[in-house]
Amino acid sequence: MSSVSGGFLPVRIKVKNAETGASVEMELETENTVDEIIESAATFWSKDMGAYVLRKGKKVLRGGSSLKDAGIRADDVLELIPDPEGG
Amino acid sequence: MPGRIGVGATDEDTFDRSKRIGWLDLTSVSKAKVLMIGAGALGNEVAKDLVLSGFRKITIVDMDHVLGSNLNRCLFFSTEDAMRKRKKAEVVAEGLLGLSAQAKPLPIVGRIQDQPVGIFPDHDIALGCLDNIEARIHANAHSYSSGVVYIDGGMEGLLGKVMVSRPPRGACLQCGMNRTHAKIASMRFSCTGRDVVFHEPKLGAEITTTSLISAIMVRESLKLISGRPDMLLNNAFYYDGQRNISEEIEIQLDPECPVHRADQRATRKRKRYKST
Repeated sequence: MSSVSGGFLPVRIKVKNAETGASVEMELETENTVDEIIESAATFWSKDMGAYVLRKGKKVLRGGSSLKDAGIRADDVLELIPDPEGG
Repeated sequence: MPGRIGVGATDEDTFDRSKRIGWLDLTSVSKAKVLMIGAGALGNEVAKDLVLSGFRKITIVDMDHVLGSNLNRCLFFSTEDAMRKRKKAEVVAEGLLGLSAQAKPLPIVGRIQDQPVGIFPDHDIALGCLDNIEARIHANAHSYSSGVVYIDGGMEGLLGKVMVSRPPRGACLQCGMNRTHAKIASMRFSCTGRDVVFHEPKLGAEITTTSLISAIMVRESLKLISGRPDMLLNNAFYYDGQRNISEEIEIQLDPECPVHRADQRATRKRKRYKST
């Protein structure tokens, strides 16, 4: 996901796992999307198949948005939260 | 001139405590038509809260029958219902009649996706008490296009969420969905002969979370039907019972969301017809 070879400066962010409190640092490019961050973090933590969303502060980030469009900047701390499906 | 009451009069009035809440419009509440989709854990609690709050006309849509594993979180279900595999919508409707002689529940046994789309505009509000994304997407889209407020509840163990979709403006439930939701929805769709892949939420419903989430759903319904949309949740309410956190989180309108794209197409079509 991250690379400096294409001339992009990587954006370093931290993603927190809301369920465990653990966190992971990610190096991203501005073209990476929120969907990609969610999937990478969920895979890293071996999350169960399920719906998850990524939030920055009080705001839920749109899946298809790029880092740029989502307003994600270096050193941001994002949180991965499950989107409850049961009823 | 001051009003006059007899001694103990307030104790005879079923709705005395509700009447003390100044903004509650119990007349409108008693006339409102509610569409409740799903009669599982959340549906049982929502139905109970609706009737005890003064709602009467409640359409209950659910395809399933009662299971033994439902019994630790569903007020209206019994062991006998599970043994007889009785339909959830019918059992909840019966239970509501036991709570109030004024209740007028209408059970519909079937999937919401198989009901005529006219069912949505025929109601004043729709409440999603569902356990799968596919049905949620359907209920959200049809409520939005019908101009009906849709209140969706979801739970996963001690986590809960309530989202209020308020057409014609603002974000809808699907605006907050992403690729992880799409993957799960597609698993439900991937039926080829006998190869049906279903996704079961890991934790599903739990009664204490269910009580809380259902209460918020019904409280939001009371605000809307009482003519107080200004008091409604603007976005989503998120609850984490493990960390004791509850907060309002913001889901922004996504112009690329299929519901809003369809809405924009319909608006353009209306404008075209108007100009010709």
